Amino acid sequence: MKNELNLRCVMSKDTVLATETEQAVYALINIKSRSGALLGTMPANFALVLDRSGSMDGEKMENVKEAVGYVVDHLSDADLVSVTIFDDQVETLIPNRAARNREAIKAAIANVIPRGGTQISDGLKAGLAEVMKGYAKNRVNRILLLTDGQTWDDEDACLKLAEEAGKQGIAITSIGIGNEWNEKLLLQLAERSHGNSHWIQNPIAILDAFQQEMEGMQAVAATNLKITARMSAGVKPFKVHSTIPMIADVTHKVVSNGSIVADLGSLDGKKGQALLIEARIPAQKAGRFRLGQVEATYDIPSQGVKGQSVKTDLFITFTEDAAAATKVNAEVMNLVEKISAFKLQTRALTEAEAGNIAAATQKLQSAATVLLNLGEDDLAAAAEREILSLRKTGALTAAGTKKLEYGTRKLTQGLTQAMK
Amino acid sequence: MKCKACQTENIEGALFCEECGVKLEAMAMESEGEGATLVLASTDGNRLEIPAKDEIVVGREDPISDIFPDVDLTGLGGMEKGVSRKHAVIHRAGADYTVEDLGSTNGTYINKKKIQPHAPQTIKAGDELRFGKLALTLQAA
Repeated sequence: MKNELNLRCVMSKDTVLATETEQAVYALINIKSRSGALLGTMPANFALVLDRSGSMDGEKMENVKEAVGYVVDHLSDADLVSVTIFDDQVETLIPNRAARNREAIKAAIANVIPRGGTQISDGLKAGLAEVMKGYAKNRVNRILLLTDGQTWDDEDACLKLAEEAGKQGIAITSIGIGNEWNEKLLLQLAERSHGNSHWIQNPIAILDAFQQEMEGMQAVAATNLKITARMSAGVKPFKVHSTIPMIADVTHKVVSNGSIVADLGSLDGKKGQALLIEARIPAQKAGRFRLGQVEATYDIPSQGVKGQSVKTDLFITFTEDAAAATKVNAEVMNLVEKISAFKLQTRALTEAEAGNIAAATQKLQSAATVLLNLGEDDLAAAAEREILSLRKTGALTAAGTKKLEYGTRKLTQGLTQAMK
Repeated sequence: MKCKACQTENIEGALFCEECGVKLEAMAMESEGEGATLVLASTDGNRLEIPAKDEIVVGREDPISDIFPDVDLTGLGGMEKGVSRKHAVIHRAGADYTVEDLGSTNGTYINKKKIQPHAPQTIKAGDELRFGKLALTLQAA
């Protein structure tokens, strides 16, 4: 029963040069379920919150209906589902209930006609209320939010709801269709609730996204996952990024009093989760030095496992021998490089928003170079196109911004098929 | 440590410049663990490197369906030997490897034994992996 999860920690360098000053080291913390471990499937408690505003007409609504049909067909009788539709009003099409009588659910959604504006917070609030009706710790409690437009003046309300959801372990996966919606908001909703986010350009890919979410829900291996890193005296956590499933800077959320406490929500058994810590270590004389201890705690409700813990210590060796201190771990190096692309892209967008065109251009250029080094030609080209857009119009394009925001965050997702 | 490209002062040990993202140190790259890097070797001496990723898709490239597996067996006669486009995935966790058949048409075999789809099985250097009719040996790099 013990050690259902595999906690793997890798340092950027096992050996560093003994210097008089402090230096930076990186530690990758990776959690996955053990190969072949059968941890059972948890029943789902799934709320669909769907934009039915006027712009969702034609192909978009057709594909949404098909995707909902898919979800309903692939939930089991033990799963709970609800469907909420919103424009500037909210309608609960299907209140939280067992996923039986699938034809009735499909019939209800078949009659939806796009109309109205967009007020996401009301839809999200209603969806959250439905999830709470069926809420249980041994269920995968999740909200899937789909929109194609800007919400009207209620972004703060949305973010608060996401925080609330996250605290309960209810992950919100946000899906944005087309280019006319706020990617910062949708990404924040996902980050705050430990959910996922997808950018879809072609309505045909809506089904794909729903399929991915279903697979993700069925792959949940553990819940209430927390990573704690207690650092030895003098070792300062400088930056922490989550890397799997998406890259995000979580420093402000997880670092306090020199240690790291990260709430990661539920664990996808196949994909796992990972954090990359950049720490500053104090000057040391030659010898082995314990950097700290990493502990992962988790629950596996289907097996009655609660608060299980797995720990590992982080060590580093200081040496006077410069030649021995040059080896860098390739896996960690690759991750730090991807995070670098993400950071440069984020800064470029901030500079562009502030009207600092020259600074934005510089950062985009740097991002393009790093992306090319990573073999991400497509994203590098997107960065270059945004440089041209800045030159022409002084602003970035809506599509380009989304491509860069989503593309750099998902640099660590190898297998995921690109959403078209 | 000064960045050669933009002259920004970076902390000792930093891998990439904070300001411009350029790689800082001249370093020796190392793969994790001993013998952790594996290659797939064919009977006629071809060696296919397994990329340093956690999930490595093995299959046959098909640009029309936008399928680009990490290890592409087209050049080794994958088409004729019944390799599916997304045939199997090799999972890596540190120095441990497993292979999972992705529901391929002609199956995946470890040392001549067929494995169940979607049930990852441990593999190690010396094992023979067969994708459809295409047999490869897992070897340490």
